[in-house]
Amino acid sequence: MMELLQALEGSAFSAWVRESPSIWAYPTILTLHTVGLGVLVGANWMVDLRVLGFARAIPVTVLSRAFPIMWAGFWLNAVTGAVLFAGDPTTKGTTAVFMWKLVIVAVGVVLMIALKRKLYGRSIDDRTASAGVRTLAATSLVLWIAAIAAGRWMAYV
Amino acid sequence: MGEALVVWLKSTWISHAMTTSQWAWPVSEAFHFVGLALLIGGAGLIDLRLMGFLKSISVSAVMQVRKWAALGIAINVVTGVLFFVGAPDQYIGNPAWYGKLLFLLVAIVNVVIFETTQGERMLRLPAGEKTPVSFKLAGAVSMASWFLVLYFGRMLPFLGNAF
Repeated sequence: MMELLQALEGSAFSAWVRESPSIWAYPTILTLHTVGLGVLVGANWMVDLRVLGFARAIPVTVLSRAFPIMWAGFWLNAVTGAVLFAGDPTTKGTTAVFMWKLVIVAVGVVLMIALKRKLYGRSIDDRTASAGVRTLAATSLVLWIAAIAAGRWMAYV
Repeated sequence: MGEALVVWLKSTWISHAMTTSQWAWPVSEAFHFVGLALLIGGAGLIDLRLMGFLKSISVSAVMQVRKWAALGIAINVVTGVLFFVGAPDQYIGNPAWYGKLLFLLVAIVNVVIFETTQGERMLRLPAGEKTPVSFKLAGAVSMASWFLVLYFGRMLPFLGNAF
């Protein structure tokens, strides 16, 4: 595993991500990663909060439109995240908090899919979200805070 | 003036805590990014509606998420001030910081002008109705300026010397 990470770190692409002085290299990739975070988590939180009973004037059915936006944020971050990882694989690949971040994000995405299925799989009365759906939304909300905290922590390892 | 301000800010206990505590700065950063996501989610939803998307929601209904955007802004103003007090010299003289403040100002002026000139009309716009051009413009300016605030914030270490 370590040899693989070292080989990746020795590649020209890895060096470019790490060392290019261009504003369009590392700074722009990092910015796009932040944009993806805001879009994915922001859109997911709006749905979570609506399910939890806030902003009741917004019909739950309309919020199904938020899911493609979340996926756009997710894929933007999967790609930019992979690039950022390629720039620093031996450190990130051996850091526990990075593993935690991946696990938290994976669970967050699973909950996002589950929430969509619960809300739109069959037509539910949007005024009486079941306790199960509410728990799902609350867990999703908290998990994204944990994902952000883990991501920020990466800057200090 | 700048010099004296920097010296004074750095002499405060808040500045001391921000730079000597192992946790103060990273935890504030985490909150700053939570605020960022709340703001993009809340303001983004409102801006999309003003731009003419999601027409099946009335504008007054979508405005119910405004408090979440406001909470995001509040978290980020508090944590942002903490960063500034913690290390003022890495912001004063940093071109990215002025870019960030400029577009923050644009976002605020945009919402104030829109509220005062179109506020009542906005709350009356029902679902399904054609969106006025002024609404679309205000929504687009808002969304663009918030993303530029994010952009220049992220550029603080790259266009300037912030850590």
